[in-house]
Order: sequence, then structure tokens, then C-alpha cells
Amino acid sequence: MIARRSRPFMRRGSAALTGILPFIALFAAWALLPALAGIPEFKLPSPGKVLNTFTNMMADGSLMAHVWASLQRLAAGYLLGNLIAIPLGLAIALNRAVSETLTPVLSFFQSIAGIAWVPLAIIWFGVGKGSVLFVIANTIFFASIYSTVIGVRTIPRVLFRASLSHGASRWDIISNVVIPGAMVQILVGLRTSMAYGWRALVAGEMIAGTDGVGYMTLEAVQWYQAEIVILGMIVIGVLWLLMDALLFTPIERVTVRRWGMVR
Amino acid sequence: MNTAALTGGTPKISIRDMTLVHVNEERRQSNVAVENLTLDIMENEFLCVVGPSGCGKSTLLSAIAGFMQPQTGTVTMNGERITKPGADRGVVFQEYALLPWKTVLDNVALGLKFRGVPRADREAKAMEYIAMARLTEAAKKYPHELSGGMRQRAAVARTLANTPEIMMMDEPFAAVDAQTRLSLQEELLRVWNDNPITVLFITHSVEEAVFLADRVAVLTPGPGKLREIVEIDIPRNARHWDTITSDPEFIALRDRVMALVRDQNG
Repeated sequence: MIARRSRPFMRRGSAALTGILPFIALFAAWALLPALAGIPEFKLPSPGKVLNTFTNMMADGSLMAHVWASLQRLAAGYLLGNLIAIPLGLAIALNRAVSETLTPVLSFFQSIAGIAWVPLAIIWFGVGKGSVLFVIANTIFFASIYSTVIGVRTIPRVLFRASLSHGASRWDIISNVVIPGAMVQILVGLRTSMAYGWRALVAGEMIAGTDGVGYMTLEAVQWYQAEIVILGMIVIGVLWLLMDALLFTPIERVTVRRWGMVR
Repeated sequence: MNTAALTGGTPKISIRDMTLVHVNEERRQSNVAVENLTLDIMENEFLCVVGPSGCGKSTLLSAIAGFMQPQTGTVTMNGERITKPGADRGVVFQEYALLPWKTVLDNVALGLKFRGVPRADREAKAMEYIAMARLTEAAKKYPHELSGGMRQRAAVARTLANTPEIMMMDEPFAAVDAQTRLSLQEELLRVWNDNPITVLFITHSVEEAVFLADRVAVLTPGPGKLREIVEIDIPRNARHWDTITSDPEFIALRDRVMALVRDQNG
């Protein structure tokens, strides 16, 4: 009994361990390569120097200020993008007229979603928060909407019929069949759009920003401060890992995994 | 033939000269599934419809359920034209069609929820039907945690808990193993004896139809037409698999229905 119970735990533990191995390899290469291959420090600063920068920027509060600015912007763009994308995706999937009207125009704009809008956004909103938010929301919208559409369209027809023959109204169908039935794909959209949103955020801040992690890295380039650039990249990656582990994975566990819709 | 006179009841469902056509818009094809069908389903009878694949028997069910409309002819329930799906006509599907994101309890209480029955009341009522389907232990489980047989018992409980006027079953036991199928058929009859209700049961298995039915309607293949209706007058208390297969009456009826089904295949 004890042995059987401990086995999944061991497996989970070893999976986490295996997942860390590539990071260790990367870190080792980072620490050893410059000395072995003669790469100058200004091109690839050592881990120690980056750590030092981290401590300094934490101490003076500048790192947290940039991170906080980026996170707020990301959250706003994420909410805005998905609050439009998910209901619109449901409408497109459920209503043929809406689908026929909107599909061509959405396809047109999909190819120029995201940072392609930066130049025009700067003209419209100026350099700063408005432009970056517009670019993030735009990117997130397109990264999310088609997942919702596919999610609804792949719900087995028999589930609609079963609900209708048990007296479901249109609203009953939406709340009891459509939304949970599309949940696997909606979550894919929420997850992917967050990742794409991060990228748009960083790119947007680099071009049109006045603060934030993306702005921080690009500003550092002017002074050849590669250690700040690397620090910024690590911060972005770590924050994403945390969001994935603390937000999306738990949501998945209590919904689609629990329902046996994904393994 | 006057079926009302035969069984001495009143028709629950009346189908008159009905033709059903499947239209495939993508391929621009249409296919006549059922042609000029006239059939009555009596109040509280157990009617089985048998026929080979492609005889339109599931399409017939779709028309009564209101999932599709006849091109010609009429389908009525209690004299009223059927135009759309509704809770008065519950359907049990071959693929169970339980909502994967709801527990057995929430699935069985589904129709009551749609009707606005308060949670405590609907759960109490659902638990009665869950007990009847012998699923009390599994009430809090999700469908993917159940065997095929348990899922189909839950689907039957879900439909009965909603107290429809007719329960329609579309090859409900075709996807479970042979052993489970026999016990599900016996259980269905046990439940039906305790809860008299009009049942339309679609199957391609002649044995299953003769075992379950008051009457068996045999359809001809593509397009489906009514070939004949066979009365099954085997007493209800004799419907047990361990004895019925050696009952001469059962054998005779089974062979007769089988001959009707095979005959039309050439």
C-alpha cells in the first residue's frame, strides 16, 4: 500500500528532476564557455556578473519597477484581448451568419496581428503605454479566438441533441454544453495567448515603451550592458514558468483533466 | 392495418405517410432515408424497430425527437405536430451522450435542472433514479471513470428521471460487450416494469428486439419502409435470458422476424 502510493510521487519527483537537467547543462555551458572559447565578458557576461546585477537592481528597486510595469500591461492586454476573443469565438462557432460575416475580415487581420501594428500604434497613441497595450491586446485576441471556435465546433453533436431532448433552452446549451465542451481548447487559447502576449509585450516595449522589462533590455544595449539583457531574458522566462505552473496547470487539473477530456 | 385495435390502446405517437430525406449540403447530395412510413406507437408499449443498417431506423427516431423534419407526411404526439426537440421525448443514445464535465448525479439531474427544479429537490430525485440504476456508489464519479455498461445505465436513469412521455433508445447497447448487454436488457425490462412508459427501441439485433418488445416493427432497407409488425406475446415474467432461449415461442418469433429481415436482403 505504502509502496504503491509512493510510486506516482516518485515519478512526479523524477519528472521535475529530468526537466531541470537541460537548465543545468545550459548554465554549465554559460559558466564555462567564455573561458574555454575566449568570449569577452562584454559579449557574454558571467553568471556571477548577472547575479550581481540582479542583486543591485533588486536593491534599488528598478528591476521590480520594470517587472511590475510589464505585468500590469500584460494583465490589461490579456483581459481585454480574451474578453473580446472568447465571446466572439463562441458567437462565430454558434452562428453561421456571424461566422460568414467575420471570418474573411479576421483572416485578413490575422496575418498582420501583433507587432506589425507598432508603427501605426505609435502614430495613434504615441510612444508609451497606449501603444504597447494595443499591440498586446491585438496579439492576444488573434492567439485566442480560433481556439474557442475550434473548441465549440468539435463538441460531439450528440451532446447537443441529448441536452435538447432533456429540455435545454438556448442558454442552458451555452452554459452546460458549449462552454465546458470547448474548455480544452479555450484553455489552450488562454495559455497560448499569454505566451504570445509576453512576446508582444517585450517587442512592443522595445520599440514603443518607456518602461518595463522589454524597455529595460533595449535600453541596456545602448550601454553594452549585456548582463541586464540576459537578466531581463531570465526574468521573462521565469515569470512565464511561474504563471504556467501556478495558474494554468491548476486550472487544467480541476477542469479538463478531472473530466477525463485530456490525459 | 389498425394497430390501435390490435393492442387496444391509444396511440402516443402517430406517423402518417412520412418521408425523411437527408440533405448533405457540402456534397450537394440528398438521400431518402424513410419513405411513406405509417406507424403508431401506443401508450406505454415497448416498440422495437429492427432492420439492416441503412434502413433509416435512426432517422425515424430523429424525426420523432424533433432533430429533423419530415419532407412529406406528419409526426404527431398526442395529436400535436412535432416541430422541435423537447423534454417530453427523452433520447438514450448509443454513444451514451453523458456530459463528460458533469458527475453521474449532475447528469441524471440534468433535465430537472433545465426545468428549474431547485438543487436539493432535483438531487434527491436524481438519487432515486441512480439507486434504481444501481449506481449509488458511482453518483459522484465522472462518466470517464465508469464502464460502458454503467454509463448506459446512467443515461437511462437520466432520461427516466426527467419523466418524459416517451423514451427513445437508439441502439443503446450496441457499444457494450455481449455479457453486459444481456444484463442491461434484463435490467431495462425490470426498470420499465416498475416505471411504465412508452418506449421506442431501435436495434439491428433481432434477438434483442424479440426479447424486449411488445411489438417489433421490421423496416426494409434503403429507403426504409414498414415491412411488417410482429406482435410478441411472450409473457413479461418469462423474459429472462437463462430460460427464454429454449422457449419454443421465443424461437418461433425470433425466426419469423429474422426471416422478415433477411428476406428483403435478397
